[in-house]
Amino acid sequence: MSRFTVDRDGETYVRPIEGLELTRRQAALGLVGLVLLLAVPDITRVTPLSFSIIHQGILFGLAAVGLNLLLRHTELVSFGHAAFFGAGAYGAAVLAHHYAVSSGLVLLVGGVLVATVVALVVGYLVAGYLDIYFALLTLAFNQVLFAFVLQSRYFNFNDGLAVRPEGTRPLLLGLELSPGAYSVILYYVTVAFLLVMLFAMWKIVNSPFGRALDAIGQDRTRARFIGIPVERYVWIAFTISGLYGGVAGGLFALLQLHVRPEPVLFVFVSGEILFMAILGGVGTLVGPVVGGVVLIYLLRLARFYVEYYHALTGIVLLVVVFLLPKGVLGSLPEIGDGLARRRREPGLLREDAGSVAESIRDGAGRAVSTVRIVVFGVK
Amino acid sequence: MVESVVVHTLNGIYYGFVLFMIASGLTIIFGVLGILNLAHGELYALGAFLVFSVVGFLAGLIAAPTDTVTAVIFGVVVLAGALAAAAVLLPVGAALEATFVRPIYEREEVYQLLLTYALLLILIDVMKFGWGTSPVSTGTYSGLNRIPTTEVLGFSYPSYNVIVILVGIAVFAWLVWFFDRTKTGRIVRATAINREMATAIGVSTDRTFTLVFAMGAFFAGFGGAMVSIGPSDAFLEMGLDPLVLSFVVIVIGGLGSLKGALVGALLVGVISRWTVGVFGLPQLELAAPFLLMAIILLAKPEGLYGTWGEIE
Repeated sequence: MSRFTVDRDGETYVRPIEGLELTRRQAALGLVGLVLLLAVPDITRVTPLSFSIIHQGILFGLAAVGLNLLLRHTELVSFGHAAFFGAGAYGAAVLAHHYAVSSGLVLLVGGVLVATVVALVVGYLVAGYLDIYFALLTLAFNQVLFAFVLQSRYFNFNDGLAVRPEGTRPLLLGLELSPGAYSVILYYVTVAFLLVMLFAMWKIVNSPFGRALDAIGQDRTRARFIGIPVERYVWIAFTISGLYGGVAGGLFALLQLHVRPEPVLFVFVSGEILFMAILGGVGTLVGPVVGGVVLIYLLRLARFYVEYYHALTGIVLLVVVFLLPKGVLGSLPEIGDGLARRRREPGLLREDAGSVAESIRDGAGRAVSTVRIVVFGVK
Repeated sequence: MVESVVVHTLNGIYYGFVLFMIASGLTIIFGVLGILNLAHGELYALGAFLVFSVVGFLAGLIAAPTDTVTAVIFGVVVLAGALAAAAVLLPVGAALEATFVRPIYEREEVYQLLLTYALLLILIDVMKFGWGTSPVSTGTYSGLNRIPTTEVLGFSYPSYNVIVILVGIAVFAWLVWFFDRTKTGRIVRATAINREMATAIGVSTDRTFTLVFAMGAFFAGFGGAMVSIGPSDAFLEMGLDPLVLSFVVIVIGGLGSLKGALVGALLVGVISRWTVGVFGLPQLELAAPFLLMAIILLAKPEGLYGTWGEIE
C-alpha cells in the first residue's frame, strides 16, 4: 500500500490528493481524459477534427463548470450566464482596442475583473429570488447588457471590436508569436487554467461553504435556521460562477481576436451554456466541459456534414432528456455496467431494442390518436 | 408633434397586440402546464410560413383589389387564410404535447427547458425542409392597405396596422370569454388550480393539457400569420426575438395571467416605440423592455397581475 492508494471494503481506491478518492476505473478514465486533453493539438493535426472548435468548446465548457456550481448545489437555474462570458470577452477587447494593451495576460485579467464586477452587481440583485423568477431575472440582465452593447458606438454596434489591429496578436508570455504557435500556446494556457479552475471548484464544492450551498439548495428556510446567511452565500456563489464565465470569455476573446455581441452575449448563448452542463452531466465536476465540447461541435460544425444540423442537435438533446438524464459523463458508470451485462447475456440486447421501439411506438400512437381527436372529434 | 406622438403610440399598440397574440399562448401554456415553452417562437414562425403557402394559394384564386369593395373582400380572404394557417398548428401542437411534453411534467424544470429547446432546433429544420432557407413574403401588405381607414381615423395610417389591432382585441375578447364563460374554459382553469382534484371529479388532465398546448400553438401561429401578411417576411430565425420579448411580456404582466399579458404587451410595445419616436433614444430601444422587466421583477416579483398557476 503506497501513499497514493487506499484499501477499503475490499476495493483499492486511488488517492492522488488528500480527500479525493477514485476507483481504479475512474482514475484510469481521468488519466485518459487528461492525456487526450493535452494531445488535442496533435490529434487534430492528424484527424479531420477542428482544433479551434474544440478549443472554443472547452472555453464554453469552463463557463458551464461555473454555472454548474449554481445549478448543482444551490439548485438555481441561471439563464443569463452569457452576460459574464460576454463581459469577460468585451472587457479584454475594450482594453486592447481602446487602450492599446498588448499583453495577453493583462487583457485576460481585465476581462475577468469586468465580468466579476458585473456578476457582483447582478448577483446582489438576484440572490433573493428562486425558481423561474431567478431564471427570468438573470435572462433580463443578460438581455439588457446585450441590447446595450449592440446599440452602443463605444462597442462598435453589431460589428464588434477587433482585439488587436489587423494582423497582429496579443503577446503571450511576453512573446510575439506566429499564428500557429499562438493558437497552440493559447490552448495550453487554456488547459492550465482549466485544470487549476477545476481543482479550485472541487475544493470549493467540498469545503464547508460548498456544503452550505447544498443545504441552501435543499431548503432555504432550514438553511437559514441553522445559521447560514443564505442571500450572502448565494451572492458569493453567483460571483464565483460569474468569474468562471469571465475567465472563459477573456480567453475566448484572445482566441477569436474579434468579439461580436451575438456569439458571446445573446440570450441563447446563455441557454447553450446551461444545456452544456446538463448534456455533460450536472452531477459531475468535468461533465460540463465534455458537454461544452460536444454541443459546440454539433452547433458549429455539424452544418458541414449534414444539411439538417439543427435537427441533429435537437435529437441528441432529446436522447439526453429521455435516455441519459444524468448527462453523457454522469451516465458512464451505468453505460459501462449495462454494456458488461449485455456482453454476458446477448439476449438483453433484443429486449432493449424492443423497449426502445415500444416507447417510440407509444409516442407515435399518442400523437396519432391526439391528432385524430383534434381533427375528427372524440367519436 | 401631437400627431407624431399619436402615430408612435398607435405603432406601439399595433406592435403590442402582435406581441400579445404570441405571449397569450405562452402564458396559458405556462399557467396550466407549468412549462416555459422555448419552442413557442418556432410555432410562431411556423404560422408565418404556413400563411405564406395558404394565402399564396387563396390570393391566386381572386384578383388583386382595385376599389373599396374588392379590397374588403381581399382582406376577408387573407384573414380567413391566416386563420386556416393557424388552424394547422392545432394538430401540430397537440401531437408535440402528446409525444414529447407529456412524459416530462414531473421532471425538473431544466429538463423541460432542454426538451423544448430540442423541439425548437428540430422545428427550425422542419421549416428549412418545407420552405428553404431564403425569406418568403406573402405580398399582401399593399392590398390590405387599400381597405380605407384614413377617413375614419382622420389622418393617414396603414390599414393593415388597424386590422391587426382589431384582430388583437378580438383574440383577447375571445380568450376572456373562453376562460370565463365556457364549460371547457372553466375545466381548464380548475385543472390549473388543482390537478388532483380535477382528476378526482373525472376530468382527463391529459386531454386538458393537450388542448391547452394546442391552443397556445394556435395563437402563436396566428400571431406569426398576422405578422407575415404584413410588410415583413417569414424567415427561419424570426422566432427568437418574439420569444424573448414574450418572456418579458408575461413576466411584466404576471406569469399565467391573460389580462397581464395584454397590459404587458401594450406596455412593451408602446414603450419601445416611444423610446425611439418620442424620447429620441434609439440606443435604448432594445434594452428598454428588459429594463422594464428587471425593474418590475425586483419591485413586484409576481408581476402586475400575478396569480400563481391560474388563468385569470
